[in-house]
Amino acid sequence: MNEQKPKLKLAVYWGAACGGCCVSVLDVHEKLFDVVAAADLVFWPVALDTKYQDVEEMHDGFIDLTLFNGAVRNSENEHIAKLLRKKSKILVAYGSCSHLGGIPGMANFFTKEEIFRRVYEESESTINPEKIKPQPEYKVTEGTLEIPVFYNDVRPLDKVVDVDYYLPGCPPQTERLVEVFMAIVTGAQLPPKGSVVGAGSKAQCEECTRTKTDNKLIKKFKRPWEIYDDGVTCFMEQGVICMGPATRSGCGHRCIKGNAPCRGCYGPTADVTDTGAKIMSAIASIIDSKEPAEIEAIIEDIVDPAGTFYRFSLPSAMIRRRL
Amino acid sequence: MKECRIGVYICMCGTNIAKMVDVESVAKFISAVPNVTLVKTYKYMCSNPGQEMIVQDIKQNQLNRIVVAACSPSMHERTFRGALRKAGLNQYLFEMANIREQCSWVHDDPEEATKKAMALTYAAVKRVELHEPLESIFVDMCPNVLVIGGGIAGMTTALELADSGYQVYLVEKDSRLGGNLARVDLTAPYLYSARDLLTERITRVLNNKQIQLHLQSKVTSLSGFVGNFKANIQKQNGQGSTGSKPFEVRIGNIAVCTGYKEFDASRITHYGYGKLPNVITSFELEKMIRSGRIETKEGKVPQYVAIIHCVGSRNLEFHTYCSRVCCMTALKYVHEIKSANPACYVSDIYIDMHAFGKGHEDFYKRSSEVKTLFLMYEKGDRPVIHRAGPKDDCEMLIEVNEKLSGELIEIPADLVVLMVGMEAREDSAEVAHLVNISQDKDGWFIESHPKLEPVATTTDGIFIAGTCVAPKDIPDSVAQARAVAARILAKISRGKIEVDAVYSEVDENVCSGCRFCNKLCPFSAIEYEEEKGHSHIISALCKACGVCVAACPSAAIKGRQFTDSQVIAQIDALISKVEYV
Repeated sequence: MNEQKPKLKLAVYWGAACGGCCVSVLDVHEKLFDVVAAADLVFWPVALDTKYQDVEEMHDGFIDLTLFNGAVRNSENEHIAKLLRKKSKILVAYGSCSHLGGIPGMANFFTKEEIFRRVYEESESTINPEKIKPQPEYKVTEGTLEIPVFYNDVRPLDKVVDVDYYLPGCPPQTERLVEVFMAIVTGAQLPPKGSVVGAGSKAQCEECTRTKTDNKLIKKFKRPWEIYDDGVTCFMEQGVICMGPATRSGCGHRCIKGNAPCRGCYGPTADVTDTGAKIMSAIASIIDSKEPAEIEAIIEDIVDPAGTFYRFSLPSAMIRRRL
Repeated sequence: MKECRIGVYICMCGTNIAKMVDVESVAKFISAVPNVTLVKTYKYMCSNPGQEMIVQDIKQNQLNRIVVAACSPSMHERTFRGALRKAGLNQYLFEMANIREQCSWVHDDPEEATKKAMALTYAAVKRVELHEPLESIFVDMCPNVLVIGGGIAGMTTALELADSGYQVYLVEKDSRLGGNLARVDLTAPYLYSARDLLTERITRVLNNKQIQLHLQSKVTSLSGFVGNFKANIQKQNGQGSTGSKPFEVRIGNIAVCTGYKEFDASRITHYGYGKLPNVITSFELEKMIRSGRIETKEGKVPQYVAIIHCVGSRNLEFHTYCSRVCCMTALKYVHEIKSANPACYVSDIYIDMHAFGKGHEDFYKRSSEVKTLFLMYEKGDRPVIHRAGPKDDCEMLIEVNEKLSGELIEIPADLVVLMVGMEAREDSAEVAHLVNISQDKDGWFIESHPKLEPVATTTDGIFIAGTCVAPKDIPDSVAQARAVAARILAKISRGKIEVDAVYSEVDENVCSGCRFCNKLCPFSAIEYEEEKGHSHIISALCKACGVCVAACPSAAIKGRQFTDSQVIAQIDALISKVEYV
């Protein structure tokens, strides 16, 4: 009997996440057999009943590969992030939230107090005359109840622990995950630490099949429903803001293929310092006017600029919150 | 990275900086900053001893980065880069902190100014740590020259270059050479014949084998960069329509000598030009003089001629500038009219007599000696022309509020000559766009520096001469034309040209071909490579303005010497909580 190659130990965890990343792991479909043939899943809260305590009892470096999805929003996320860092040989920030802060990161436009006030007092479906808000600790006769502490800021994984690789996407394209996983299993030469894996080095336009000309000047910004999209012309050339030019390829330009402009979930290319600032500066450059009043009017047409340009990246941006 | 050994030099600029900034405190503060090996203050860093000090320090202390806190880099960056080169250090491992124009000159609180100087110098230190050695590039210089405009300036430039042995393409949109000067009879102040001046030039141009003349032609397109331009010259058939195939030429430099047009007198309704038949413009008088007979519309020899200055010039309504040649031209008319008809009474109605050039004052004096009536009017208080009554012995009467006497004077006139000024040609914007140079508010082409670079432009390889730059007389136009030729010859003689290493470049491994940048470059340095699917910057054309760097959504375009990390390091230093004591 051939001596069997030891199986990899694999963990998947979710922090502040929607669950989509875990589903993307499930989306390997029949390739799951290849995965489980090569790896044992030792921790995956969405699918397995492993307890935190079980992880704590593992020796350091016990796990070969951890896919950490979701941002770090509360003390539980932070605790597990630190724990998994200690227990894992390779820690991958998996998906937009873990990579850059993601959709939950847009909450950084508000403080913890503002969020609590909205959610527990003001929201239309809330009746809370005593203004009860989550307390990290609550004493009852049986003892003290604890829930995680809600932080003021959402952070991407690398603001909390050292990260080996980033696998971007909301969620990451499953094929990319399989490629990365198989590369680790087969012992292929891994890229330098800190690299973005499972994505291209150029922006979406490289793959995008829409026609791109130098006719990029914009007189009016439009939302997708305001144009008769011919399915062929570059969105930007039709006045629709598309994050594609500022976003890494790798997803197979899924949204654009579906005739929707890119939202930017794959994050910026390598040398971009601040995603939102970069695309804003780019779009400002192609506004077709030299008159301040006219420019002002053109910009007015951009609905929710913060949410458009920092949709996935606010917690990793240079700006922190609104003034 | 090799250990940073930074030398910091703080200039007093005599008292320019030292009177507001305590340079010794700045030096003391900076010497405590990590990686700073040596700090010195000096009275004039830009002086030879100042530069020599830097050279020696670099050699003796193995300095590998230099910061000079002094004036604006546009003043002395080149100077200090030179010192680095001399010491064998790459000239881009250098940064200037501007503690004069942006600090000592604009503040009045010495303590705050000193703190600001500390912050600016500290930021320059943090930035220079990230500087990388850069190498300039060299490109071949094509010795052929394109001259646009066949007036006195264009022909002079063309002849100068052709006589030096270089191929010149001379393009003139008209069917003849000579430009506006060909419409003139005599020249001021020596009353030489314009025709004589021109005939000699035109004959030489026509006979010069090195000059390929394109009459009735336009330059329709221009691409490339200094040393390597490509231009299309197209023959114009009739009403500007394009007939024949364009003729492509390769050139290294371009002289733009497109001249001026005269102010359209009908824009001033005040003088009745176009309504009163005997109110004419200076160019119409020239035409009469050249035909040999000065007469009124009715064919009579005028007994009274009045000349009015500054028509369209020196007023807020039309052109605020002085057209420079009209005063002397008016005096020339005095002589020409008097010599044609010595009995004629000539009055010269002016605002100020601008007789600034060589021989001009003497000419003015001689003109007064031929019994000319000089009348001065106040700017904005224009003379008023009336038709004369049946009893008067003249056609018109002109009312002038004479400034020197303070009296309202009425003078007779049979012929009124309006001294129309110069203005930018209607096609000047088209030309500026073609060769990529700028125009001022009046439409004149802008020189690189009004005093030190009067014939160069901000686009390398494009030179300007004559009245397309600003109103000027013949000697000035000729001097500029020769200056252009000298500048071009100097460039040609070097064979290759050095292009500053500070330019933007596209990282082809990152550029996705989104084409945001394609139309933004003010210097037309960006081209899109269809087959490769990415954009490319012609480094020799790039002026490092950074427009494309800001516009690139994926940071594929980087400005050398202005990288994000360098700029952010500088900003970080400025806003960091450092104790400036």
